[in-house]
Amino acid sequence: MATVILQNVCKSYGNRKTVHDVNLTIEDKEFMVLVGPSGCGKSTTLRMVAGLEDITAGRLTIDGRDVTDAPPQQRDIAMVFQSYALYPHMTAYRNMAFGLLKTTRLSKAEIDGRIREAAEILHITDLLDRRPKELSGGERQRVAIGRALVRKPKVFLFDEPLSNLDAKLRNRMRGELKRLHRELGLTVIYVTHDQIEAMTLGSRVAMMSKGELQQVGVPMDVYMRPANTFVATFIGSPEMALLPCRADAGGVLGHDGFAAGVALGGTELPSDVILGVRPEEVSFSRTAGMARGQVERSELIGAEALVEVALGEDRITVRSAVADAPEPGEQVGLDFDLARVRLFHAGTGQAIDRQG
Amino acid sequence: MSLNVARARRNEALLAYAFLFPSLVFLAVFTYWPILRSIWFSLHDVVLGDPEIFWLGAENYLRLLDDGLFWKVFANTALYTLITIPLAILVALLLAVALDSKLRGIGLYRSAFFYPVMIPSVAAGMVWVFLYAPGYGPINEALTFLGLPRLDWLYSSKWALPAIMLMSIWKYSGYFMLILLAALKLVPSDLYEAARLDGVSAPQRLIHITVPLISPTLYFVIVIGLLHSYQIFDYVYVMTQGGPADATNVLTFYIYQNGFQYQDIGYASTLANTLLVFVLGLIGLVSVTLGRRVHYLGER
Ligand SMILES: Nc1ncnc2c1ncn2[C@@H]1O[C@H](COP(=O)(O)OP(=O)(O)OP(=O)(O)O)[C@@H](O)[C@H]1O
Ligand SMILES: [Mg+2]
Repeated sequence: MATVILQNVCKSYGNRKTVHDVNLTIEDKEFMVLVGPSGCGKSTTLRMVAGLEDITAGRLTIDGRDVTDAPPQQRDIAMVFQSYALYPHMTAYRNMAFGLLKTTRLSKAEIDGRIREAAEILHITDLLDRRPKELSGGERQRVAIGRALVRKPKVFLFDEPLSNLDAKLRNRMRGELKRLHRELGLTVIYVTHDQIEAMTLGSRVAMMSKGELQQVGVPMDVYMRPANTFVATFIGSPEMALLPCRADAGGVLGHDGFAAGVALGGTELPSDVILGVRPEEVSFSRTAGMARGQVERSELIGAEALVEVALGEDRITVRSAVADAPEPGEQVGLDFDLARVRLFHAGTGQAIDRQG
Repeated sequence: MSLNVARARRNEALLAYAFLFPSLVFLAVFTYWPILRSIWFSLHDVVLGDPEIFWLGAENYLRLLDDGLFWKVFANTALYTLITIPLAILVALLLAVALDSKLRGIGLYRSAFFYPVMIPSVAAGMVWVFLYAPGYGPINEALTFLGLPRLDWLYSSKWALPAIMLMSIWKYSGYFMLILLAALKLVPSDLYEAARLDGVSAPQRLIHITVPLISPTLYFVIVIGLLHSYQIFDYVYVMTQGGPADATNVLTFYIYQNGFQYQDIGYASTLANTLLVFVLGLIGLVSVTLGRRVHYLGER
């Protein structure tokens, strides 16, 4: 059991607080993805788990043991760096063997067995006697993962391991990481700024912004029920449209471009709310439609088009079949899928829970 | 290749020669000519102030083989190099690693350790003559304080050479430290982090990561060190004049003695040529043994 628990973990550099009170539990065999924009403190949090940065305040336990102040080697973790951090003067084999040779009592044969096994899994058996400079980016990445695997640690930490690879390779490595996680039953904490990576890899995702945890949940939940406007726009592409509206007691929303009633299920609305609509929750209307707007631009992405429509001051993106896509300048009617859209407090940006 | 390109290349080459010419002249007058001249001297009986010059052939070189003092001087120089350079590099490496941190005020420490390099060697020699003084020197006072016997240092044929070695280590290590520090800055810190996560201890990181990765610079420092130490002259001149009983006599000082104290330019040239060939041979040896094992970070 390799449960990792962060309790009120904080990090300050001098007077500047970069990570605030992070509370997060990573369950055994879970693939937890820490995701957020650049500079939000993901790496710092991961490095605190690794022991490469001191924990300013709070508590960290791994497998029930308090390791808040333990040095990295006592935490039984392995990390894969964005830069791979392979030793340039050692062969792939030696890169994987080095830590084991220096720090364990394993025999040469046992170490060799582990390396062969990991190499087999990662398809790098033929590359073992090459030095990093003789490997491609993707191959280096595999060796770096192999170096972590042979340690058989309780927890694997990844800091943006795929960001130096091209899009195609990144896709393939994503699939392989998923397979490794599933087949070997690894406990993983994975940092990325790429929301697609987060959505496809994570058992759960933890969204961070400005050093604070925004929401933790399974990807679909975070996508469907974002806790606030920040999460709502960060996850999902094209991003969710946020339409500021005035609300009356009956659940009727007033906007420059439209007026619409939403089911409230007993919740009281504040007078100013934000309506969040994903591209798949709005469609072009055959009749007049709930809202009317003017098409600003239309972008072809293969089988479908993304059409941006102006609604008063705001913009909303609509997915459309290529054949049906209206031309820029056209007046169009829009229908919202009101059962699926969500509301946020205009002041705080927090989601409003409608039991509907 | 078009005519224009050919002409441009030729012009470029001419320009390069034009820039090189002054330094080539300088090298010819002050380096190659003296070397040729000293080869010629070594084959003749040349005495300062004596216009008569005889052809001797290899006689000076045969004399050298039979010269007991030459072998003693040669051994002194070799011993000095063998002890001083490795120790100075080791001290420099440890200092560089210690100073390669982001602690506050680290710049002050760096300057402190680099300071000996900036003192002219003659002045440094004078200071150490005082430090080593048997009667009142601080080093003997320190030994007494620690309950150890006092030594005669520069006046003892047993301790004079070690005394000069110690002083040289002090002087060289600051210089080497600065060069190595620049190399350490180029080692990516995530390599150390990866090793720390693996549980590799600090001394093991030094041996298995730092040293291989800065090996080109280490190699450079070894070559510079060999060149310097085989030409050690100033400390011996200032501190001991080769004494007592030639205990600190080294090759360059012996050359100086033969040339300018005994006026025997022919034999002094013979010694100088021997030294030159030996040092060239040594550097050749170092480059075939160490040069091949050098790893370059740029290959990442
Ligand atoms: N050693 C340091 N000293 C001072 N501030 C630091 C230090 N390391 C990081 N920071 C600050 O902490 C904040 C979080 O940095 P961190 O590296 O965790 O961001 P990140 O979420 O990983 O971003 P990215 O996606 O760009 O890697 C940043 O504002 C950064 O400037
Ligand atoms: Mg980062």
